[in-house]
Amino acid sequence: MPVVLQNIIRFILLVLFQVLVLSNIQFLGYINPYLYILIILALPVQMPRWLTLILAFGLGLIIDTFTNTMGMHAFATVLVAFLRNGIIKLFTSIEEGNNPTPSFYSFGVSAYVKYVVVLVLIHHSTLLMLEAFSFVNFGITLIKIILSTAVTVLMILGIQSLSKK
Amino acid sequence: MKNLINFLIQYSVVFLFLFLEVISFTLIVKNQDYQKSVFLSSSNSVVSGMYEWSNSVVEFFKLRAANDNLSEENTALKNQIINLQNKLSTLKKDTPDSIHFRIPPEMEYQFIAAKVINCSTNKLLNYITLNKGTIDGVKPDMGVISDEGVVGIIKTVSDRFSVVIPILNNKLEISCKFKRNNYSGPLKWSGEDYRFANLNDIARHVELALGDTLVTSGFTNNFPVGVPVGYIEDFKIKESDAYYRIKVKLAVNFRTLSHVKVINYLNYKEQTDLEKKAEEQ
Repeated sequence: MPVVLQNIIRFILLVLFQVLVLSNIQFLGYINPYLYILIILALPVQMPRWLTLILAFGLGLIIDTFTNTMGMHAFATVLVAFLRNGIIKLFTSIEEGNNPTPSFYSFGVSAYVKYVVVLVLIHHSTLLMLEAFSFVNFGITLIKIILSTAVTVLMILGIQSLSKK
Repeated sequence: MKNLINFLIQYSVVFLFLFLEVISFTLIVKNQDYQKSVFLSSSNSVVSGMYEWSNSVVEFFKLRAANDNLSEENTALKNQIINLQNKLSTLKKDTPDSIHFRIPPEMEYQFIAAKVINCSTNKLLNYITLNKGTIDGVKPDMGVISDEGVVGIIKTVSDRFSVVIPILNNKLEISCKFKRNNYSGPLKWSGEDYRFANLNDIARHVELALGDTLVTSGFTNNFPVGVPVGYIEDFKIKESDAYYRIKVKLAVNFRTLSHVKVINYLNYKEQTDLEKKAEEQ
């Protein structure tokens, strides 16, 4: 399957899954996984950066429209899209000519896990702190960030380990 | 000049990034200005159409609870009818000149029945989408209640849908009072648990008991007086504090919410206009 088509299908499926299922699930009142960020994480490494940014902005706005949180998801997702290339360079050594899709196979297990954890953590902390918009109940926000990040990371790693090379 | 162009090309991605972040942030801040945000919120017809579809699946599983509530409410209403009929017949006997009998103006309400088609309880800023809009007479600022008690206040309205800020949104404060002794204060959600909210404005000389009922105060134009809001679950006061910290169990269970009523206060405009006039002078 061509990479472009694969990414489009992933985009549609994950957005639907996020707004129709995940946003309605509540574990313990604290955990709210935002799996849609996998769309940005799974884009090919050499994708033009301006295109990644615009995709992230559009994706964030779509999620915002469904959850009534104008601009918050867009802000966090664009931030992740911007930092993605730096993080990839930091953890992996991919040669100039190659254009792999991030996965266990192309990055190696430990590099991929680090890549996912760091970016999901950045995304969730930005999002949940924007949502709280104050440091009054910072303890609760912190717990939410840690638990939600853990669940999202586990879901992403689960999905990746199921998919074939 | 050449250097400048090179510089711009080299950092174009950074500029794009900053530009998009500024737009997002402006949207977040502008969102306070809620009339403008109708387009990009779940009262937008594409989004709410989708929610309505997904809700038609989930609704099936809530039917039993909804039925129970409806039958309970039915009996309560029948009881009320009997009561009122009795009162009416006695009034007729005692006062032959009943032409002067009038309903008090602050009690003139109508209800618009609506169905919840999207509801979240796990965020700090939760919203509820209803399937009634301007066509059915819903306007911003109207109160929303269910059979159990207060739900929230209408925020934005489109032709066929409306979005409610429920008590479970810490932008909203609802003025309420104790049924027993009429002391009032604002109720606010803490963002932790969808079953509980806080009331922090009751002075220490007030006598409280666990289980006391909290009802709307009627001091705002959204709700009539006496709609249940919640019950005291727990209260604390330190030696040095002037005010109680009261934990209130909310009357409405937001997880199972499906049918609500929007309150249309018929004299809303007259009252707010009068109050505005008084403030201006």
